[in-house]
Amino acid sequence: MSSDGIGQLRSIEDQFDRECGAVADLRALEDIRNRYLSRKSGLLTTQLQNLRNIPAAERAAFGQAANQVKGKIESALELLEARLSGVEKNAALERERLDITLPGNRRRLGHRHPLTQVRREIEEIFVAMGYTVEDGPEVESTYYNFEALNIPSSHPARDPKDTFYISDDVVLRTHTSPVQIRTMERMKPPVRIICPGRVYRRDAADATHTPMFHQIEGLFVDEGVTFSDLKGTLERFHKQFFGEKTETRFRPSFFPFTEPSAEVDLSCVFCDRSGCRVCKQTGWIEVMGSGMVNPKVLGFVNYDVEKYSGFAFGLGIERYHMLKYGTGDIQLYYQNDFRFLEQF
Amino acid sequence: MKISLSWLKEFVDIPVDAQELGKKVTSIGLAVESVEPHGNDTVFELDVTTNRPDCLNHLGVAREVGAIFGTPIRSPQFKLRESTAKTSDAISVSIADPDLCGRYCGRFISGVKIGPSPDWLKQRLESVGIRSINNVADVTNYVLMELGQPLHAFDAESLHGHEIIVRRAEIGERITTLDGIERTLTPSTLVIADAQRAVALAGIMGGAETEISGKTTNVFLESAHFAPQSIRKTARSLGMNTEASYRFERGADIRMAQTACDRAATMIQELAGGEIHHGMIDVFPGKTAPVRVSLRRIRIESFLGSAVEDSVVDGIFQRLEFKFAKTSSGWDVEVPSFRVDVSVEQDLLEEIARLYGYDRFPGTLPSWRGYGSFLPGDAGERQLRDLLSNSGYSEITTYSFSDEETERRFRPDIDPVKFQNPMTEDAAILRSSLVPGILKSLHWNLNRGIHDIQFYELSKVYRKSGENRALILAATGALRTQSLHDTPRDFTFFDLKGDIENILESIGALSKLSELSTERIPPYYHPGRSARFGELAVFGEIHPEQLEALKIRQRVFLAEINVEALLSKTSMKSVQAIPRFPAIRRDFSFVLDKGTQYVAVQRMIADVGIPELTRIEPFDRMESGPFADTKYSLSLSVVYQSADRTLTDTEVEGFDRKILDILEQRLGAQLRK
Repeated sequence: MSSDGIGQLRSIEDQFDRECGAVADLRALEDIRNRYLSRKSGLLTTQLQNLRNIPAAERAAFGQAANQVKGKIESALELLEARLSGVEKNAALERERLDITLPGNRRRLGHRHPLTQVRREIEEIFVAMGYTVEDGPEVESTYYNFEALNIPSSHPARDPKDTFYISDDVVLRTHTSPVQIRTMERMKPPVRIICPGRVYRRDAADATHTPMFHQIEGLFVDEGVTFSDLKGTLERFHKQFFGEKTETRFRPSFFPFTEPSAEVDLSCVFCDRSGCRVCKQTGWIEVMGSGMVNPKVLGFVNYDVEKYSGFAFGLGIERYHMLKYGTGDIQLYYQNDFRFLEQF
Repeated sequence: MKISLSWLKEFVDIPVDAQELGKKVTSIGLAVESVEPHGNDTVFELDVTTNRPDCLNHLGVAREVGAIFGTPIRSPQFKLRESTAKTSDAISVSIADPDLCGRYCGRFISGVKIGPSPDWLKQRLESVGIRSINNVADVTNYVLMELGQPLHAFDAESLHGHEIIVRRAEIGERITTLDGIERTLTPSTLVIADAQRAVALAGIMGGAETEISGKTTNVFLESAHFAPQSIRKTARSLGMNTEASYRFERGADIRMAQTACDRAATMIQELAGGEIHHGMIDVFPGKTAPVRVSLRRIRIESFLGSAVEDSVVDGIFQRLEFKFAKTSSGWDVEVPSFRVDVSVEQDLLEEIARLYGYDRFPGTLPSWRGYGSFLPGDAGERQLRDLLSNSGYSEITTYSFSDEETERRFRPDIDPVKFQNPMTEDAAILRSSLVPGILKSLHWNLNRGIHDIQFYELSKVYRKSGENRALILAATGALRTQSLHDTPRDFTFFDLKGDIENILESIGALSKLSELSTERIPPYYHPGRSARFGELAVFGEIHPEQLEALKIRQRVFLAEINVEALLSKTSMKSVQAIPRFPAIRRDFSFVLDKGTQYVAVQRMIADVGIPELTRIEPFDRMESGPFADTKYSLSLSVVYQSADRTLTDTEVEGFDRKILDILEQRLGAQLRK
């Protein structure tokens, strides 16, 4: 009986080895586990239940053999389960595979107007240099727009062919300079401001002109402010805005509100000074006007011209955007064609 | 201003070629616009700034060139040969208004023969853009271009009474000028008159009746100086701009009048013969002492940024023909009469900067005290722009201009800011609303095949009473188009309403101030699809009739937001504790009478007074179904939550009961079966 019992264990073992090889999925695995190890009816369980029928002398040997077979079956099933469940998980993941080359589901995002962006960029550069942004009315008195800037009543700049008049002494401001005067009237030096905003000139619209455009002007008045400071400030600004390799050149010019005055040229952003159509082969592009504040202007706001000096400058926001992004036509900024706006 | 290189070389030696000269001249402030060959000559187009009338002639430019290279200037050499006949016997000159005419020089030349100019003269004038007329007229133009002094030659025989009077015109006095136009004058105009009538507009243009003609034998030559403001005013009021007025209104050299007069008389005699009568007429009431200005040495460094050696400064003044005396602190300078732009110390500093070279002053960054900052409303506007971008709206920028008719469609009560001199009829006022501009931008895009649009503009509107910031939103077409991931859907009223609610909430203004109503909705909105949030926003679908007028064939949604009021509402937020006990959500479907607004249901539930009620949210609405045609079904969920305990089933059922009861009693609501 005993050797017979062990023999039966061996044949169960052989049978298990054969069947185990055929198990291909987790369900078949569960079947085979039940068939051999089920607590009630498993083939091996049944054998173990026979233990009490085995003579005492042989029990130990039988028990040992039975536990060995059980251990072997259990570990074989464990291995098999690990392998099969891995396969199934992979298969499940595989079934969820996406064509990730399809386009993403993008929500519509709006675009900030290019002039808002450039204005912001310029403001940030100057605020970082200690400037305060100031604002003022666009409908402005001729006093602030002209007189206080040393543009007397007979000056050609006041001609109604260039300036929009609301009444004889009220105009649409032709520059944001009136804000400088208003600010200086309000506060004592040091004054460090930039004034962005809309300005108006009676120019017919073409690729480089519109009757309304945006300016940013700057003013720095303090003790001992020099022409070198003007140069250094605008050199730094242009490097910040256009890149470190940008060079700035100053040429003598004339504006009623500054003296000395300087036209500011920029090393051509399109050809890197090698000469192109945009810079007319000169390597330089005229970008802004600047100068040391005319003492007459400081006199208008009752600053002590012996104590204080300052510089001022003014640029067109559209022009700076055009230069930086290569926009060919200023009118694009006002047409609001979405195909233009969405590029920014 | 055209400058001939060969002409220039008569007055100064130039050690460089034309291109290099162009660069040098530009670098000291005479911007060279172009350098063009002209026959054997080279012609520069100079952009002479308005403060430098002394450079509107060849001698003046030569002076600048000499200052650049340190080369001496050769003034034009000529020898005047006068006859024994006396000028004073032929003509006399008086100035009635010396404030407008500071100097009047004159020469009388008799027996001239008018004829064509020699070729060299014709060519020279042509090179600087002046057409040859006859030998006498050409000489006056030549001297103008050479020395900058405007001259006028009269046919002396046609002057009445052997006298010239410089006076203001009489009221209604008439003159036909050389261009053939008869002009009626006012006393603000200065004229040159003979004994009987005006014969020239002083400093602007001569009269036709006294013009040099082929028959002229006697010439009276005028070389005068007129007050800039008077010439400017007259030229502008008459719409005239001549070579003479251009120079006088900027300021001519009062001391050049005499030299130019003699120079021209000599040339006329050489080219047209005749005799120059003895003695020059020179009435000079405007004679003044030269302008003197001091320059302090210390100011060069403290104003320009670096010191310049005394010897360099001396050299600059010498080359500019500024006489000076050295003092212990600097220089006392006598400004030559041709430099009308120099009168204070800063003017001298400018001369030093420009001739020493702007590029020789190093760039430095100024030190500063204090702090920088953006505009007061900037942070709020930036937050708004971020939110709008993230909500799909793109920013536009439109002109501030509008026209009254368009504007009144949207703002019937406006008192617009009108221009005296609009460029076009449709841009004659400043806008009082952002509506027309944004609709125009939609129209532009719709016409170009772009149908799905969300735009906003954050900018100014204008009234006589002032300027205000304003915000407008517009949307049309699809919110989502057909894609792999989503079904298409049009933008709706509730998309817009949601966007505005987001804006109000983000600013912290979604409160009593923004209570929803349908009062005072402008007529260009769809009456059934528009509303307002208090004084903060008006919004809705545009009235179909408006769209028809604009030829827009799809629904357009618009929101006008009072951005100044909105941003002034910004408040500090404080954090709410996260609830520790679970929330319980209950869903109900009610059948209600059609016409019962959601807000009524919402208020009713809120008014029950359940402190644990934290949220009411509708999630479905059916217009028809297993209920009467006069009813509709509304499904909503309510959420209960207590801050201090877990709610029991009994409590929750009690809450439900209260809600169901009140809705049944007050609104006749039934639970849908």
